[in-house]
Amino acid sequence: MSRVEFMQGNTACAEGALAAGCRFFGGYPITPSTEIAEHMARALPKRGGVFISMEDELGSIAAVIGAAWTGVRAMTATSGPGFSLMMENIGFAVMTETPCVIVNIQRGGPSTGQPTRAAQGDMLQCRFGSHGDYSTIALSPASVQEMFDLTVKAFNLADRYRVPAFVMADEIVGHMRERVTIPDAVEIVPRRKLEPGQLPFDGGEDGIPGFAQFGSGYAVHVTGLTHDERGYPDTMDAEAHDRLVRRLIGKIESARFDIADYEVENPDAETVFVTYGPPSRTVLQLLHDMPDEGIGHLRLRVVWPFPEFALSVFANAKVFLMPELNMGQMAREVQRHVDQPVIPIPKLGGDLHTPAELKQALEAYR
Amino acid sequence: MTAEEWYRADRLPHIYCAGCGNGTVINCTLAAVEELGWRREETVFISGIGCSSRAPGYILTDSLHTTHGRALAFATGVKLANPGLNVVVFTGDGDLAAIGGNHFIHACRRNVDMTVVCMNNMIYGMTGGQGSPTTPPGAFSTTTPYGSGEPAFDLAELAIAAGANYVARWTSYHVKELVKAIAAGMRTPGLSFVEVMTQCPTNYGRHNRLRRVSDMIEYLRTHALLVQKKERLVQEGKTVPDEMFTVGELVRRNRPAMGVRR
Amino acid sequence: MKLVIDESRCKGCNLCVLVCPYGIFQEGSELNQRGIAVPRLDRPERCTNCRLQHLYGRLLCGMCQMICPDQAIRWVEEEPFEPHSVVVEF
Repeated sequence: MSRVEFMQGNTACAEGALAAGCRFFGGYPITPSTEIAEHMARALPKRGGVFISMEDELGSIAAVIGAAWTGVRAMTATSGPGFSLMMENIGFAVMTETPCVIVNIQRGGPSTGQPTRAAQGDMLQCRFGSHGDYSTIALSPASVQEMFDLTVKAFNLADRYRVPAFVMADEIVGHMRERVTIPDAVEIVPRRKLEPGQLPFDGGEDGIPGFAQFGSGYAVHVTGLTHDERGYPDTMDAEAHDRLVRRLIGKIESARFDIADYEVENPDAETVFVTYGPPSRTVLQLLHDMPDEGIGHLRLRVVWPFPEFALSVFANAKVFLMPELNMGQMAREVQRHVDQPVIPIPKLGGDLHTPAELKQALEAYR
Repeated sequence: MTAEEWYRADRLPHIYCAGCGNGTVINCTLAAVEELGWRREETVFISGIGCSSRAPGYILTDSLHTTHGRALAFATGVKLANPGLNVVVFTGDGDLAAIGGNHFIHACRRNVDMTVVCMNNMIYGMTGGQGSPTTPPGAFSTTTPYGSGEPAFDLAELAIAAGANYVARWTSYHVKELVKAIAAGMRTPGLSFVEVMTQCPTNYGRHNRLRRVSDMIEYLRTHALLVQKKERLVQEGKTVPDEMFTVGELVRRNRPAMGVRR
Repeated sequence: MKLVIDESRCKGCNLCVLVCPYGIFQEGSELNQRGIAVPRLDRPERCTNCRLQHLYGRLLCGMCQMICPDQAIRWVEEEPFEPHSVVVEF
């Protein structure tokens, strides 16, 4: 029996984490993500988990990575400025292949910006923010139900691919209240265990090594330095570095068909909206108000790795319109993959596009 | 070797310069671990970035070599998520006092049950000898070519003020005392902080007329002032020389601790 | 027992020369294959650990081993009937 509740997006995110078996939360208060920490602070001790409010976001993500290596599912939640502070250790998590979940309830930036308003300005930061080449997984919920579902999914993807997974929500879904169906149990994909005789950073066929948690007797050396399959630092060997970085990227990019999660509407349309997160709600409203088979809609739930094959579903597309709560960050990525024009419809300040605004854009570019 | 089987023999010799004190501190830490009878699979060594922080890579246990300054935050996560693990943090003066200063005071405040061994060589060694927060006033380095004009941090006093349950300071010359201090720290629930003044002949000594290892050792030996002797000097109203540092067990107490194994 | 310096690990810092109470370690002068002047051992049989480790069943002095930053000093079992000269001091 599942239960139906009326709750806030941030609470749904915390509930999703708890359902997925998250037992460690390290965080630092920041608007508009704080409700996640508050909910975890109440719920985790009752379930034998650990909640800790660290001294800053650098420490939060560090504690989360440390906890993840003891074998528990661990997460943190933050917003723009805190997300920027986490960047170095996100790179560390990528390099050491630490599964963890980072929730970013995005707000208006740059800098302190608009703490209580929504934005989608960190979409490229979550992919390229840390130094060096790497690949990550980012999900974008558009409703409170998806705050629950995609948080669960983020834990599963993080554990499956041994990578930090991002839930790139924003203030709108974070603070919105909606009806949520919470199932009794959710699907849990466990981490693949390290087999005896296997090296701790040997990717094998799919590039994903087995996980040996601390205390299991494998004496794993985990380092952010370039390392070989044994985990030993090997910083001067060009080939070792090349092999490692290519594997870290390859294990995600080659699995993007499996990771992809998107919705397609009117695949024969000539004008196509590409959205992720709350702007998709405006497009849904528009299509509801004026049903038109000539208007297509691609809604991404997984934004990174970018599912470029989803764009080719729209074989007749003449133009792609991208309403985003930023200056057109993902529009660049879409333009990389298609020959047709990609028109960004930016909106800044914290409000969603109105259906009228999208209709205006539609008339201008159709 | 006291703890030969704790070393990753295939990784030796390590990257430290000839005469570096860090290897000695690893020896002493492992001797203390042996004394306590810890098991390898229950022990985790964690470090940040710097010369000192390469140490866990030479020890045959689970080890986490993290980002600059964050070792204590990582260690907090490890210890709280699994209190059954024995956690030892190797860190240096730049790692702990400069970039990681905030994590240091908060780890002491929380009193998370772990042992922090700080190899204080008074310099940023790995990057080639720049002045650090513990470079003594007047000392030369590549970034203090006219002598350091800043007061230095007293890390042990900082740990005491922030609330660590056990604080001691020795030098890499006082090996027997150091082993005892680290073992006592490991036995004490809560955060134990052992500061080890180590010699860095390559980068600190070179700029400060202590180029030879024996000169640096002599410097450490003559500048170490036993805490009991210092108290006696204070009682007698005599002045304690500024350039000397106190050694010995500086505090042992029983504040509430986090992450203690049940 | 026999005192040995592992030449593959020693970096020639001479800390052992500084701490040995018996003056067994002497600064080396000849470079080995790795270009390092490994300390010379002067009558190592005078070392308490060589003579008494088995009798007491534990490590005795051990200062050189503990301070050796390169983990290069250890005591190994002697081969039976290994010839070595013994100097008796009065």
